[in-house]
Amino acid sequence: MRKVYLILLLLLSIGCLSQNKQILYNFRTVPQSLLTNPGADFKYNYYFGVPLLSGISLNVGSTGFSTYDLFANNGVDFNTKLRDVLSSTSRKDKVILNEQIELFNGGFKVGDWQNHAYVSFGMYQEFDFLSYMPKDLAILALDGNRDYLGKVFNLGDLNGRTEMLSVLHFGYNKNIRENLVVGMRAKIYSSIFNATSTDNSGYIYTIPGTTTAYEQVIYSNSQLNTSGISPYIEEDSDVDAASDIQKKTFLGGNLGLGFDLGFTYYLQENIQITASVLDIGFIKHSKEVESFTYKGLYKYEGINPNFNDSDAPRDVYQEFKNAIPLDTIYTKYTTWRPTKLNASYQYSFDDSRGSDCSCSNDDAAYKNAVGAQLFLMTAPRAPIMALTGYYKRNVLSNLQLKATYTLDSFSYTNIGLGLSTTIGKFNMYAMADNLLEYRDVSKANSLSFQFGLNFIFKDNNEPF
Amino acid sequence: MTLFSFSCNSDLDFNQVNDLKLEPIFIANLSYFDVPAKNFVDNGMERTVSFDAENFDVFRDAFLRNNLKRADFFFEVTNTINRAYSFDLILLDQNGQAVITIRFDVPASTGAPIIIEKTEVFENARLDLLKTAKRMEFVLSMAPGPALSESSLGSIKLRSSATAYLSVE
Repeated sequence: MRKVYLILLLLLSIGCLSQNKQILYNFRTVPQSLLTNPGADFKYNYYFGVPLLSGISLNVGSTGFSTYDLFANNGVDFNTKLRDVLSSTSRKDKVILNEQIELFNGGFKVGDWQNHAYVSFGMYQEFDFLSYMPKDLAILALDGNRDYLGKVFNLGDLNGRTEMLSVLHFGYNKNIRENLVVGMRAKIYSSIFNATSTDNSGYIYTIPGTTTAYEQVIYSNSQLNTSGISPYIEEDSDVDAASDIQKKTFLGGNLGLGFDLGFTYYLQENIQITASVLDIGFIKHSKEVESFTYKGLYKYEGINPNFNDSDAPRDVYQEFKNAIPLDTIYTKYTTWRPTKLNASYQYSFDDSRGSDCSCSNDDAAYKNAVGAQLFLMTAPRAPIMALTGYYKRNVLSNLQLKATYTLDSFSYTNIGLGLSTTIGKFNMYAMADNLLEYRDVSKANSLSFQFGLNFIFKDNNEPF
Repeated sequence: MTLFSFSCNSDLDFNQVNDLKLEPIFIANLSYFDVPAKNFVDNGMERTVSFDAENFDVFRDAFLRNNLKRADFFFEVTNTINRAYSFDLILLDQNGQAVITIRFDVPASTGAPIIIEKTEVFENARLDLLKTAKRMEFVLSMAPGPALSESSLGSIKLRSSATAYLSVE
């Protein structure tokens, strides 16, 4: 029971993140943009990332409340703040967190100057967390049922998933026509740990009864699947976490397969359309699998005597535990990766080249570009969606800026800025969104940033 | 990273989590019976004492045992039989010793239902006593009065509930 409270607290206290990388997407001077669209129009002879520093990305967000709401040092009792947060959120509010760190990353061009393609590969480690607000369960934990006679508490409010995994990927990118780049990326997932509880249903209610004082029913159809966690929660566990995670990162975990697809298409030299779909894939959990189920129906009527029969005494508490047992099962399960969809439309202007130049499609030739992007991500209930408008500018030949304005369920005032600069072969990029919130980070409902260092050897695409 | 270090931040105190104190209040059925008058007649003979015992095992749950700060038992006895009763609810510990006895004296009904209400509050030492209870006995004794038959009307009924005040820190 105490564990239940701990879990509730955990769910309440973690901020929310989505995986929208609206600044990085279609940022063509940054190799990591290939991870948001395998068909990105990014040309290189070869490149490699600085190990562990080539791509660091973090997204946090919460639709219902901010860190400040809960932890402000303002003299208000923590329990009051918790109660306020609870009353201002709904079961649709969610907390999402996503973190990615590239372990290594690189790419090279294959083929000759007339018929060539671009290969990229790498490995990153990713942590995902998503939870909806377990509103009804939180009310039960905070207030109990006394003041909620007649309310049906929905056990389906408990809905969340978390996973740490590593992804080994290999991408292929090619201009199949002069104005069309397509790409795909194959991925091997190695899940380090996973906990999924997204298909719960059930209810608890108490209403004034006609015979017994109350009619009280609990029905539960809940399940928590875990993999990679059981060695840690065993009693007398002496797992060496560092070496265990290391082993599972390098394909020693529960394995899965997936792919990304994408393209870039130039309607005209200065009008570009892109789209990508990422992480169409699954992970098969078969190692260190442990699932907990809490399934059954119990109508509680009290400890009631039967004066007619000298029956054996009943154990009501035991009856309840038997009716809705907490069972542990060890069956394999499959999880689907959260699939992401990106699409963009971009118009470039201010040609910096001479008017008689017949160079290839290349928006680097334009000083300015404006565009719109759409992002969609699958989630256990409704998909998460965001719409971004942006302005891109080549400030100098080696300094690009992108400013974004994003509308999503986390915020209507999300302004982001990214820059990429190349000094010789050395490329550095940094991007952050929700800049207005940096006036006071603790009040932000969502934040994301990406950062990375790479060495890029440019594609001059000339015979040599 | 740089951006983060330039940003401002309101004064936050994450240690407030230690102040977390949940104080939910739960209500639940405690006990119920409804015995019709004819059940006190067995082959034409009156049965004056009815008895049953049930296990009282809720405090096997360590969470409840450790976090229960107060319990209120609410009882409502309704008698529509033309006989008086005394009803004892007895809680016994694991050695079979009665630790709590709650007694109801219920007058006979001469038409209108007789309703007896009672609230028992368990706190501090009395709550500790309650937590030792393992067994619940019900003793319903019928006082002398006008004879009952298999066709006598009325019943004696108990409805009761418990309110549990928890404090989880």
